[in-house]
Amino acid sequence: MNRFSLALSRGIARVTDSPLGPYQTAVIRIGFSLTWLLFLLREFPHRQELYGPDGPWSWQLAEQLVATNDAFTVLLWSDSQVWFEAVYALAVLWSLLLLLGWRTRTMSVLFMVGVLTLQNRSVFMGDGGDNVLHLMAIYLVFTRCGQVWSLDARRARRAARARARGDRPRDRVGPALWGVLGFALLLATLAGRTEGDRFIPVLLWAVWSAQALWWLAGRRAGSGQPRILLDVVANIVHNGALLVIMAEACLIYATAGWYKVQGSRWQDGTAVYYPLHLEYFSPWPALADLMSASGTMVMLVTYVTVAVQVAFPFTLFNRRVKNVLLSFMILEHAVIAVVLGLPFFSLAMIAADAVFLPTSFLRRLGGLTARVRGGPRPRRGGTSLPGPRPPADSPAGRAPDPVPGGVPAPRT
Amino acid sequence: MNAYDKGSDARRGPAGEGAGRDPRPAVPATPAHRPAPDAPPPASDTPASAPDDEPDGPPAPHSPGTVPGPGPGPDPAADPETGPDPETGPDPETDPDPKTDPDPETGPGPVTAPPAEPRTGVAALSLRYQIGAALALAVVAVGICVHLGMTFLHVAPANTVSKQHRETIENWIYPEFEQNWKLFAPNPLQQNVSVQVRAEIRTADGASRTTGWYDLSARDGRAIDGNPLPSHTQQNELRRAWDFFVSTHDDDNRPVGLRGALSEAYLRRITAMRLDRADAAGADGAVERVQVRSRTTNIPPPDWSEEKISDKPVYRVLPWWTLPEDETRGGIG
Repeated sequence: MNRFSLALSRGIARVTDSPLGPYQTAVIRIGFSLTWLLFLLREFPHRQELYGPDGPWSWQLAEQLVATNDAFTVLLWSDSQVWFEAVYALAVLWSLLLLLGWRTRTMSVLFMVGVLTLQNRSVFMGDGGDNVLHLMAIYLVFTRCGQVWSLDARRARRAARARARGDRPRDRVGPALWGVLGFALLLATLAGRTEGDRFIPVLLWAVWSAQALWWLAGRRAGSGQPRILLDVVANIVHNGALLVIMAEACLIYATAGWYKVQGSRWQDGTAVYYPLHLEYFSPWPALADLMSASGTMVMLVTYVTVAVQVAFPFTLFNRRVKNVLLSFMILEHAVIAVVLGLPFFSLAMIAADAVFLPTSFLRRLGGLTARVRGGPRPRRGGTSLPGPRPPADSPAGRAPDPVPGGVPAPRT
Repeated sequence: MNAYDKGSDARRGPAGEGAGRDPRPAVPATPAHRPAPDAPPPASDTPASAPDDEPDGPPAPHSPGTVPGPGPGPDPAADPETGPDPETGPDPETDPDPKTDPDPETGPGPVTAPPAEPRTGVAALSLRYQIGAALALAVVAVGICVHLGMTFLHVAPANTVSKQHRETIENWIYPEFEQNWKLFAPNPLQQNVSVQVRAEIRTADGASRTTGWYDLSARDGRAIDGNPLPSHTQQNELRRAWDFFVSTHDDDNRPVGLRGALSEAYLRRITAMRLDRADAAGADGAVERVQVRSRTTNIPPPDWSEEKISDKPVYRVLPWWTLPEDETRGGIG
């Protein structure tokens, strides 16, 4: 009993006291935003056809469908060409800023708005990769994914140095951003644009209010208790979201694997041959022929694919086995990207896989990236420890404004 | 289905493991302090570091005082066990005024404290706030369980539970958490489905002619060939529009419900757009009507297989559709 309560209390302390997996959440933030950014840039010449008001899935068709399923999309707020171009451009901008980790929490919300808006506007244009991005964009909002490898982390370090010199850095961008977005949200709500399914509008208002609370709690001198409480709550939410993201990845593999087990082609060891010969998934027919030249090879790949997908969730209990399978799956997705012509699906899946990468590997990766970029100053993940933990408060007599980041402080 | 249960159980694994191997980031200033994933233990930590900076933090009374908190209560109590480890937490974060929040407004209370590492974590909270934290933890925990449970039932095959609670599950999942991970499963598609279209053109002199069949899927296939970055317009647009059409029409090509009507309009607009791009109507003609058909061919079995299957294509021919005025002149996409 004592051991149980001890374990329980340790567990509680662990999930409340700090946001876990700073590198893992940062790498998926970068992975998903990069995937979406590259996708939007690649489809830029085709944007009208995919999401424009006069595309084959026209604004009127989308409106009729969305009226039945209440999906969230700001593109249906207006059928004007200008609105469409603006939203597409903003979606590009938001994914870039999330990639860089600038005002990460706010950008994660806007990134989600961009992803949901475009995908829900033309739901029949998407594939599995879009589906992954759709879910992960929502989950990312709940994480503190800018703790490392982000402009926010750099800003927090600078603010800390400034404070150490006795300066009191003031953040004006944060409150301004918060004000503008709050105004936009208010307008949309008053105009009745957030009718329909309540989930996303409520989420938007919730994050907006939470940022105000965070800012207020940070400004308030005194015991700092509200601020610490908010910090703890943010940690709990972050850790919960991280768990959900991992579970979602496991569900993807489990579903894909267990349904395959039931298929006759996966049983007789020929399944992999078929997608390689589908008109829509064979950009390199010669390569596909080469890969399916040997029946034994096809059978092995078929069986291993199923085995790995089914096994993956269970291997999480053993680090070493997990890492082996993880590298295999990342490799397989890289192959799929080329051979089946599914680069964005594969990139999204690799980003999802990355949440399971070991911290030591990610830190080495970060160090390597920093060296390649050639900056003399070490960046996160090199030798120094990650540290954007803006003070929950600073001694009251000193600075009444301990929040380095103003409203969307890095850790919010 | 057993397997699914295990699959979902396995989720618990990642969090635990991730938590274990990834301590929270420490402060750059104190790299020596490998941060502990565990709570900064107030009881043990305080005596170690507080004395120098925190004259007003009576450590002893604090810890017992906070224990009774319902949820997070146990952890301060537990800390003495984990605590002795010197690595625990950024040191000086020991609470200056751990008991309550006696001076919410009057800053000067703990002025004497140098700008040590801030206090964080449940242990730094007074009882009132600890209850708040416990509440948050409970709400989030319940939310996660419900969400993962719903998602699991949504992706699992229809079963006793999901049939009983179909509506609840759908209300939770739709619209934003819809998902389908039957990737090439249970069986990969083993046919190439080509969508083809022909058009009736009204020429400038009032005459009418019918074009040959345009194989739109083959055009997509050619656009994808040798293309490292196929566009969704080439890979998904027509393919998924056809799937949408098939799933919302009966065997006699009659639409089922609103979605049936929408899928028809969608498919028609795609063909109109592509005929326009192929310049099917010529310089002075206009497309008046279109007819769509699908041509399904089995993928020939591999050379090394003994299987024999028919290589004869199967056609599904849809009725002629008249284009609305705005679609006859292109203007789509």
